[in-house]
Amino acid sequence: MPFACIHVPNFILQAALRVEPGLRSRPAGIVDGTPPLVTVIAKNKNAGLLGLEIGMTKSQAEQIPGVQLRRRSIAQETAAHAALMDLALSFSPRIEEAAADTIVLDLEGLAQLFGSFENLAVRLAARAKKFGLSVQVATGSNPEVAQLAARGFSGVTVLSPEEESERLGQLPIAALNPSEEIRETLERWGVRTCKALAALPSAQLSERLGQEGIRLQELARGTNQRALIPAQTAARFEEAMELDTPVRELEPLAFLLGRLLDQLCGRLSARTLATNEIRLRMQLEPGEEEIFGIVDNVSIRKKGPTPSSLPSIYEHALRLPLPMRDSKALLRLWRLHLESHPPVSPIVKIEMTAEPAKTRVAQPGLFTPLSPDPEKLEITMARAGHVVGEANIGAAESVNTNRPFSFRMRRFDPAAAASDDDEAASLPAGPFCLLPTTALRVFRPAMPTKVETRERAPVRVFFGSVWGEVRAASGPWRTSGDWWSSDPWNQDEWDLEIEFPAPAIQAPGHFARRAENGVSRGVYRIVRERSSGNWFVRGVYD
Amino acid sequence: MYIELHARSAFSFLEGASLPETLAARAAELELPVVALLDRDGFYGAPRFHHAALKSKTRAHLGAEVTSTGGFRYPLLVKTREGYQNLCRLITRMKMRAAKNEGCISAEELAEHASGLVCLTGGEEGPLAAALERGGIKNGIESVRELCTIVGRENVYVELQRHLHREEEARNQSAIEIARKLRLPLLATNGVSHATRIERQVLDVFTAIRHHVPLEAAGRLLVRNSERHLKSPGRMARLFADLPEAIAQTQELSSRLKFTLEDLGYEFPKYPVPEGETQDSFLRQRTIEGMIARYGANDGKARRQIERELALIEKLELAGYFLIVWDIIRFCCEKNILVQGRGSAANSAVCYSLGITAVDPVGMDLLFERFLSEERHEWPDIDLDLPSGDQRERAIQYVYERYGKFGAAMTANVITYRGRSAAREAGKALSFDLETLDRLTGLVSAWEFKDDDDTFVRHFRDSGFDVEHPRIKKFLELCIRMQDLPRHLGQHSGGMVICKGQLDSVVPLEPATMPGRVVVQWDKEDCADMGIVKVDLLGLGMMAVLEETIEIIHDHDREDVDLARLPANDPVVYKTLQKADTVGMFQIESRAQMSCLPRLRPARFYDIVVQVAIIRPGPIVGKMVHPYLKRRTGREPVQYPHPSLEPVLARTLGVPLFQEQLLRMAMIAAGFTGGEAEELRRAFGFKRSEVRMKEIEKKLRAGMMREGIAPDAQEMIVKSITSFALYGFPESHAASFALLAYASAYLKCHYLAAFTAAMLNNQPMGFYSPATIVKDAQRHGLKIK
Repeated sequence: MPFACIHVPNFILQAALRVEPGLRSRPAGIVDGTPPLVTVIAKNKNAGLLGLEIGMTKSQAEQIPGVQLRRRSIAQETAAHAALMDLALSFSPRIEEAAADTIVLDLEGLAQLFGSFENLAVRLAARAKKFGLSVQVATGSNPEVAQLAARGFSGVTVLSPEEESERLGQLPIAALNPSEEIRETLERWGVRTCKALAALPSAQLSERLGQEGIRLQELARGTNQRALIPAQTAARFEEAMELDTPVRELEPLAFLLGRLLDQLCGRLSARTLATNEIRLRMQLEPGEEEIFGIVDNVSIRKKGPTPSSLPSIYEHALRLPLPMRDSKALLRLWRLHLESHPPVSPIVKIEMTAEPAKTRVAQPGLFTPLSPDPEKLEITMARAGHVVGEANIGAAESVNTNRPFSFRMRRFDPAAAASDDDEAASLPAGPFCLLPTTALRVFRPAMPTKVETRERAPVRVFFGSVWGEVRAASGPWRTSGDWWSSDPWNQDEWDLEIEFPAPAIQAPGHFARRAENGVSRGVYRIVRERSSGNWFVRGVYD
Repeated sequence: MYIELHARSAFSFLEGASLPETLAARAAELELPVVALLDRDGFYGAPRFHHAALKSKTRAHLGAEVTSTGGFRYPLLVKTREGYQNLCRLITRMKMRAAKNEGCISAEELAEHASGLVCLTGGEEGPLAAALERGGIKNGIESVRELCTIVGRENVYVELQRHLHREEEARNQSAIEIARKLRLPLLATNGVSHATRIERQVLDVFTAIRHHVPLEAAGRLLVRNSERHLKSPGRMARLFADLPEAIAQTQELSSRLKFTLEDLGYEFPKYPVPEGETQDSFLRQRTIEGMIARYGANDGKARRQIERELALIEKLELAGYFLIVWDIIRFCCEKNILVQGRGSAANSAVCYSLGITAVDPVGMDLLFERFLSEERHEWPDIDLDLPSGDQRERAIQYVYERYGKFGAAMTANVITYRGRSAAREAGKALSFDLETLDRLTGLVSAWEFKDDDDTFVRHFRDSGFDVEHPRIKKFLELCIRMQDLPRHLGQHSGGMVICKGQLDSVVPLEPATMPGRVVVQWDKEDCADMGIVKVDLLGLGMMAVLEETIEIIHDHDREDVDLARLPANDPVVYKTLQKADTVGMFQIESRAQMSCLPRLRPARFYDIVVQVAIIRPGPIVGKMVHPYLKRRTGREPVQYPHPSLEPVLARTLGVPLFQEQLLRMAMIAAGFTGGEAEELRRAFGFKRSEVRMKEIEKKLRAGMMREGIAPDAQEMIVKSITSFALYGFPESHAASFALLAYASAYLKCHYLAAFTAAMLNNQPMGFYSPATIVKDAQRHGLKIK
């Protein structure tokens, strides 16, 4: 049964370089520890050339000119490991998390898909590059062989069963990761390579080193047989970035967000998934208020007072009507949101989480009218919301209340609206309606008016510059409610047929019909607020 | 003249917002001469409405909105007694086969019980509205025709309601068309759900509670406006100015509704007596037999008292009642179930002779009139204490068997909104978060005893809430308005009503939650008001202990102990009581009792009676304990609030301790009649409203003013009456309890092992944990392995 292993050498450094690719070509190192004892724990080749050593203190390292030092970030390492898992899962459904920097893949049946194991290994390494990771890949007949080869040989290594023991034999004993005691013993015996260890007689080795010695020998021979331990593959798409220098402006923030979104979308794409919700959580620098903003495409900063009650976390979830994974479109949405809701202080840490969702299947029907591209529609809606306010955009929806003409704005979702229509069409015919159905054009807001009454019923209504005579009246129709809230209502509605002298007046009279004898008539809904006694024209019947 | 013929009270359980009394009082204010009460699926509020109407000099018609299988409700009005009985039976049939608050009737069932009933076409929940919505005017006509077939053409009225809704008016227009086409009379009603406009808010809260949603989310479940209140005849005439015939018809229909609850038709069952005997002669024989056993043949005083009581019983035709209670006692004796009457029955020598009670009223000079008086026109109240658990259930099942499934039932217990429950539900409806809700309800005292200053507003202000904040203000308003409104119907712990023939034609019956139990729709006060006989079969843990102790003594010591023949004035018992060594003894074991016993130093039976009655919230709050103890030890002179009260208060050294004394005080000091005094007692009973209490208090003060009692004395009398009437013990009741206390003390002193074993077998009961009981027994030398 063939296996492959992906190993990320110098994982701690690579996790940092993944979110800051600019550092790759420059001398860089990672420091960790509790001050004052902060030491170098990882470095790249260029830094080594300048004299940076593992174990140096931070202050020693800072003496070397040109070396970029970064703090170790567990969040970045977790994200890098998750990316490695996504990479492996995009090839094989059965994988083992051997270590944070090492993943073993079961290749059973994959040769048919990828042509050859060599081809597969090369593609694994290439895709890892896209994920911002430089990896070593090896294949072997069992998980241990693949792992040893991936850790021991750089680049891509494809081992056939016949050559496994020979190739592994070249590796030093340290590749087997023996205990210190055994390593010293083997050193004393002059056993320095796997080949030498493999050649020792097993019985005698067992007498001297016990079962651990036998295990190491089996590893060295490439004959250690064990089953793969499949990893639990909970889909968690999270990327994070800790910033040594707080970000104070929107442009650089957008740049960093773009990078995180690229990583997330790449990982989603590797799993053939998309997202319908992206959550952003930013840690803000405490004690300083700086308002982000953009005027005429120029970022501005405005220093403000520094109240102690400022929030230290900025959080928002971007909910999408349809699953998406276009990082550019997502970035645009985030930019629009941040422009209208800027954070109040500089940012020191960014965490971004994507909720995975199945990618949408777009199969337009032959006779279905084309709907706008969801990504574009979402951006257009966000832009419009930015201008008119998010509460004022969407589709109107009636509210469960007796308050007349109440509605609220629902998120505009053409797909859901279409399915609502379908549902409505499939419902049986509604109950018998006793009221005649006629259209009422509602004036929003209602027009204040003056009304003359006789025995509590309206007889004349004032429209702009002209009084209309009430010819027929129906009412009052009384509603009241929300008495427990700060916004109760209590009103009487009247349906009035009103006659205006010719010529027909403008405004609401615009809807009045011209009668034959030269006067205009219309049927209006007039409302009296019982608390204030004020009258309003609420609408006109067609 | 307009008459309101469709009103719902709060007894429609969360579908109406006013008590029947409030409706009746408001009707009187509005000069509405008659109102018809149609609660949902029952006559729950009928007795209270009937009495309130009598009081406010209006008339009450009765009916019910009965749920149909079609999902709508038939508004049915009662024309005659037959109609009332039919409706009771119909509702019983519906209730008995369904789960609580469910159940409905079919058109065929209505047709079977239609005689004597009038059916309206209803408002938005009525049959016509449902038909119109289903299929327009054609369906509407069919539905009204069907109603005509069911109840008869002359008993169908096309109902019109005007709450200023467009849809309702459109329905009205269809209804008018149908009425004209079928030549049926139109009838204007207002479909009343609350007495005044403001109570609409309570109705909305109830709707939210009923649908388990907060007000904010209730939306269209709530009513559209506040028009469902009682309106004056003038206002209704203006609303129906275009249809004067609909207004006129209300009077015509009202004149056809002859039935009132005065004409209930309840008869107490007759006890089957042997040939040649009458109820009275049979009772006399049993009483005389008992008298000879209790007093001997030559006790002239007892004989005179019994003769006096028998004469009154005969005059009031109550012999059957006594025989039936005697029958239950006889059953219990046959089955070896310990039973003892308590309450005012202990005032009667006949009850003592019949073995119903165990206190000798002649010896103790108890007041017979507290039990039975010619003036009160009501059935006597006999409460029987039985061992709690299976033994009591056997007695209850015996009554069911004896009088048939529909001949006996338990009385209901109307659960009303009290401080805490009102606060909790109002808070939920107003969407208070759980933390605030807990804080708010925590403020409302669970202890229902309140002084004048103990108001919601004061509590909230003291706890730092801003009572002027609109939401808190609204919450407080709602809590206050919801007070005393019924929430649901429960079962009384032991009250049973018995009827000759079918009880289900007197009052609708419902299944209780406990299998095999049936409850009536009225509580015990309502039953008493309607003259329905009630016997309380109450479970008492101590009875079970006594019963078991006697059994153990019989089995192990081969000794028979008869509770009725325990040696009186046993010195060991009194010595123990004086030492307050009373762990496990009935009624005198609490720490408060223990602290009082060495000061009161009981030396005779009547001292135990006082001891039982004195450590109660009434005397404690009324500050009567210390004066009594001081007077008893001679450290304070015996004084009376007013010289006229001396005969009443002499035996308790001028300090009122018993309920009877308070009633007598009201009668003497304020000139109350016996009936009024009884009304006072009831007004201050557990379940009655504060409004009623205030009314009575006013009357009491006015009476005392008339009698020329000084303001200080007035204050003292009012205070003792108001603090006492709720928690004060009747003397006879205290005497019955004192007897049990003495019995338990006697058994504990002389048969400690058996008594302790029985106590432990009947846990949980009493004041102390089993560990304390065991430790106490060990302290008294009992070896426990």
